[in-house]
Amino acid sequence: MSKKLKLDRRKDIPPIAISLESTLSIKTGTWRYFSPLHKNKIPPCKHECPINQDVQGFIELITQDKFDKALKLIRRDNPFAAVTGRVCYHPCQTVCNREYFDGYVSIAALERAASDYGLYTEKKKATRNKKKKVAILGGGPSGLTCAYHLRMRGYQITVFEELSVLGGMLRVGIPDYRLPKNILDREISKIVDMGVEVKTNTKIGRDIDIQELENRYDAMFIATGAHLNRKLNILGESLKGVISGLKFLRDINLGRKVSLGKKVIVIGGGNTAFDAARLALRLGSRTTIIYRRTQEQMPAYIEEIEQGIEEEIEILYLTIPIKITENNEKGLTVECVKARLGDVDASGRRRPIPISGSNFFIKADTVISAIGEDADLSYLPKKLRCQKGVITTDENGVSSCFKIFAGGDVTDQPRTVAHAIGSGKRVAMAIHKALGGKTLKKPEEDLPVIEHEKINQDYFEEQKRIETPILTPTKRMRNTKEVKQGLKKDMAVKEAMRCFGCGICNQCENCLIFCPDLAVERDSDSFKVLYDYCKGCGICMLECPRGVITMEKEPIE
Amino acid sequence: MKKVIIGNHAVSYGVMLSRTQVIAAYPITPQTEVVEKLSELCSNNKRVKLLKVESEHSSMSACIGASMTGVRTFTATSSQGLAFMHEVLHWAAGARLPIVMVNVNRAMAAPWTLWADQNDSLSQRDTGWLQFYCETNQEILDTIIQAFKISEEILLPSMICLDGFFLSHTSEPVDIPLKKDVDAFLPRYKPKYRIDVNDPHAFGGVTGVNYYFEMRNQMQEAMDKAKNVILKTGKKFKKSFGREYGLVEEYHCDDAEIILITSGMIAGTSRVVVDGYRRKGKRVGMLKVRTFRPFPAEEVRRVLGKTKKVAVIDRNISFGHSGIFFQEVKAAMYNEDVLNRPPIFGYITGLGGRDVTPDIIQEILDYTTLNTKPKDDIIWIGLKR
Amino acid sequence: MNFKVPKEEYMFPGHTACPGCTAPQAMRYVLKVLGQKTIIAMPACCWSTIAGIFPYSSLKVPLFHTAFPAGASVASGIKAGMEVQGQSDVNVLAWAGDGGTFDIGFQALSSAAERNEDIIYVCYDNEAYMNTGIQRSSSTPWGAWTAVTPKESPESHPKKDIVYIMAAHRIPYAATASVAFPDDLIAKMKKAKKIKGTRFFHILVPCSTGWKFSPELSIKMARLAVETKIFPLYEVEKGVKYTINKIPKGISVKEYLKLQGRFKHLKEKDIKFIQKRVDKEWERLMDRANNRID
Repeated sequence: MSKKLKLDRRKDIPPIAISLESTLSIKTGTWRYFSPLHKNKIPPCKHECPINQDVQGFIELITQDKFDKALKLIRRDNPFAAVTGRVCYHPCQTVCNREYFDGYVSIAALERAASDYGLYTEKKKATRNKKKKVAILGGGPSGLTCAYHLRMRGYQITVFEELSVLGGMLRVGIPDYRLPKNILDREISKIVDMGVEVKTNTKIGRDIDIQELENRYDAMFIATGAHLNRKLNILGESLKGVISGLKFLRDINLGRKVSLGKKVIVIGGGNTAFDAARLALRLGSRTTIIYRRTQEQMPAYIEEIEQGIEEEIEILYLTIPIKITENNEKGLTVECVKARLGDVDASGRRRPIPISGSNFFIKADTVISAIGEDADLSYLPKKLRCQKGVITTDENGVSSCFKIFAGGDVTDQPRTVAHAIGSGKRVAMAIHKALGGKTLKKPEEDLPVIEHEKINQDYFEEQKRIETPILTPTKRMRNTKEVKQGLKKDMAVKEAMRCFGCGICNQCENCLIFCPDLAVERDSDSFKVLYDYCKGCGICMLECPRGVITMEKEPIE
Repeated sequence: MKKVIIGNHAVSYGVMLSRTQVIAAYPITPQTEVVEKLSELCSNNKRVKLLKVESEHSSMSACIGASMTGVRTFTATSSQGLAFMHEVLHWAAGARLPIVMVNVNRAMAAPWTLWADQNDSLSQRDTGWLQFYCETNQEILDTIIQAFKISEEILLPSMICLDGFFLSHTSEPVDIPLKKDVDAFLPRYKPKYRIDVNDPHAFGGVTGVNYYFEMRNQMQEAMDKAKNVILKTGKKFKKSFGREYGLVEEYHCDDAEIILITSGMIAGTSRVVVDGYRRKGKRVGMLKVRTFRPFPAEEVRRVLGKTKKVAVIDRNISFGHSGIFFQEVKAAMYNEDVLNRPPIFGYITGLGGRDVTPDIIQEILDYTTLNTKPKDDIIWIGLKR
Repeated sequence: MNFKVPKEEYMFPGHTACPGCTAPQAMRYVLKVLGQKTIIAMPACCWSTIAGIFPYSSLKVPLFHTAFPAGASVASGIKAGMEVQGQSDVNVLAWAGDGGTFDIGFQALSSAAERNEDIIYVCYDNEAYMNTGIQRSSSTPWGAWTAVTPKESPESHPKKDIVYIMAAHRIPYAATASVAFPDDLIAKMKKAKKIKGTRFFHILVPCSTGWKFSPELSIKMARLAVETKIFPLYEVEKGVKYTINKIPKGISVKEYLKLQGRFKHLKEKDIKFIQKRVDKEWERLMDRANNRID
């Protein structure tokens, strides 16, 4: 068929111009300058996720009503779907390409839906036990995630936890109304039930020597977090009635009673400050937050701020506390000055400059200090390199010492649940590799991230986002009921359909249908281009709704 | 069965007897009766489709389309209509389709005219169509039947010409053959190349400089072959129907000193004049040219080689040159030995339907007799002074 | 959005259309419906070369090239030939460009339609004589540059409303279609296939070479033409019943015009003029669809 027809002799030529062969002999592929290539890209949600979850993947499974499979896919990376679905700061939503069309997809709500409706089906205990043993210091999200991944691969794991309960910041930092304790317990038990040895009430340095651990175990993962409340460094900070934000949260979350009085002032602008303020509110106190910069500069998650304001927490911006004194009403008086914003400081934000003569006083029964947390490095061996108050590591948690790894809030990374989980996962892979395990090189790491311009919006209908339902302020202000509700199953499926599926081929066949040269064919569950005929027009690239096809400069292999 | 019919109706009967399957036509004087009779003859006949199209370009195009599917097709026209379909006349021949068309010779406008003249058909002489010029209504009917057979064998279309009004509207007795006899003579059309959904091909695509030349060469070869096929068919026709036709007809040419060359209805008038001269002892003869394409050059050379003078009567003119039959006869004779190459006189008469009477032909013969050789390329006969 | 398109192909790759040309798309979808039992009569147009030069053919169905004015008349002849041979179930498809439909081929088309010839006539419209080098036709829209209407004196006549003209012949079926909406084209062709008589299709086929835009935009251009109401998708049954198949988004014509080099020279007031006319024609079409006018 593709042999070129020869009509050299007079007798070869028919009396009329009747076709003798098809145009398959004409290789129009020689015309092109650019060649289309079907190659799945990385969607921005996955790229931005600190855990690098296959977000598009689990959302696609939800569109097919396969919640079990969706949850399984999440748990391939993240054993805390029910947690992250509730409390993660969801950078995936911020970079979601649908934002350029009719609004981002409610990814967090969908992650939670997977954990609400999906059944855990994996084996509780790992089948093969390797000889290698790993010690994990700290039973928080980072440590437990590392334990989960390593236990899956058969390592013998011991988790050492200072408190009587596992969970770290998830337990003692985040209040019930954001993360119900029974949900947390459920997630943790799934990990422990895999056969993880847990030693609670064990503080490193006090109850056990770190050197001994280093000797006994084949590798050690330090994930002790950052639980030291940063000092205010103002007069009166050690008065009775001035309490640490972290300690307040820890006490409440461990079930202890705390008496705050009628009026509470919280100093700080981060999640701890808001958690403390909103808990204080629920305990019956009127609460005021004092913050020295503006709302835009507050580190707390915007939804925490918005919900706090709805709950009628007073916030004083550009207010710097300079002194705390006892007053004659058996309470405290906090002297403050107003501030104005000056130049940008080391944190990249504009520095608050006190305005002299603007002093004023606020009374309170309790002052909660919540301006930041630091890591306790005192128990660490001297040889372990630390800098800027954290353990120095590379992006995989490898420290300056052989077979000692570190991750989570005790290392230099943003202090979020997702980052903690992500680092726990990466350290597990690093430990596995260091102990002789084989890891598959992920080919996706070389792929580009898909920009929103590559999405062909003509193929999508506008559809308003289904938001996470939230309890009204009146319904939630006086109790610790969960503020955010889950989506109903059918709503979750509907919202999941809004996902563009950026950069991932879903076999819509647009490329095949619109190719003018019939040069795109199916190839099992993908497509192949007939490069003998493709003229490089680029229609397939543009009509792919998801931007899977790129035009590569000739030649390509 | 003998019937007294006009020339146009002889056409209609010839077409129906030949089991034509698709007819497409557009009216133009003096052709109209052809189609009117056909519409009568094939009404309620499921085996014939008569397309009443909106122009001659479309009638020939429809015939081309139909012929390509493998059916026998026919159309008829005249003068302006023939000129309008000029583009697709080339197409039909190049596509090697055995379409048969009757052209009722009528002069070309401007100005408007309705009467007989051969410029319309002769203007199409380069298109690749066979051209027959008929003298009688019988010849018309017979030639149509033969033309289907000839065209289907050599794969070139045939144009059968008859003088407007003189033949088309004149009644003559015509022997209309029996259908079964025609069926025996003219079998079903079975083309080698046809449109077939079970064997799909493209026809007529752009043909480059490397192939077109050979295809044209093949067309000419078909024209060359046509001469024998015409003669062979003529003999077979005689066997079946008792009447024979060839490429030419020699009438008293053997010992003629002057030979008239004529075509169409003028040949009929010339016979009478030649008879008159012969009775007076004058040795004149007439060579009727029946097929103009393919041009019967060998026959012309054979017949004229023995005579002393030739007088060609053209009821046509190629402006800027001379009469067309005259040019072609001269060209055929040019390379002959000087002894076999008599002087050839070219007469133009009868344009626009002016009657070519026996007196006119007599004038032609007299002039030829009185002059050794022609002084000009055109000798106008019958013009007002 | 998944387009449901029949799988079988009746064309080969290797044809020599310009890269990004959408004319092959139109043929491809039409043949997917009409199938193997189809004969195509094709007058001079871009497809005359896309079909393949001798000795090649890019089609799996028989094709007969015809003289420029003769698309509809040759198709009529082919249909007659097939019917006398008892093969009435073979589709006879006349496939012509805008030149061969709106201009030189119009006479034969009008006649075939008046006789209600049992053929399907598809005009694939790239809005100029593209095969001969981008000269205007009576399908060229107002304001467009072509090789004979330079920017100093661009096309000054509006596009002929060919579907309305064909509807006036009271043929059983006439419709517009777009290569960007293959499911709509396929559904309409399926419907037309079952009807006897003259069926007319007007398919807009953007031409990156002649309209001067980058070839990958071809399908998007066809889509925009529909969504801006410049080329609405509708059908006309028996010449009087209008049905609009898709309510356009109503994107401003500017979004369409600005992508094409042939409209580069248009001023704001020209674009406003075009928008006004497009809106007016759309209103008129709506009125017809709602039986308010004929």
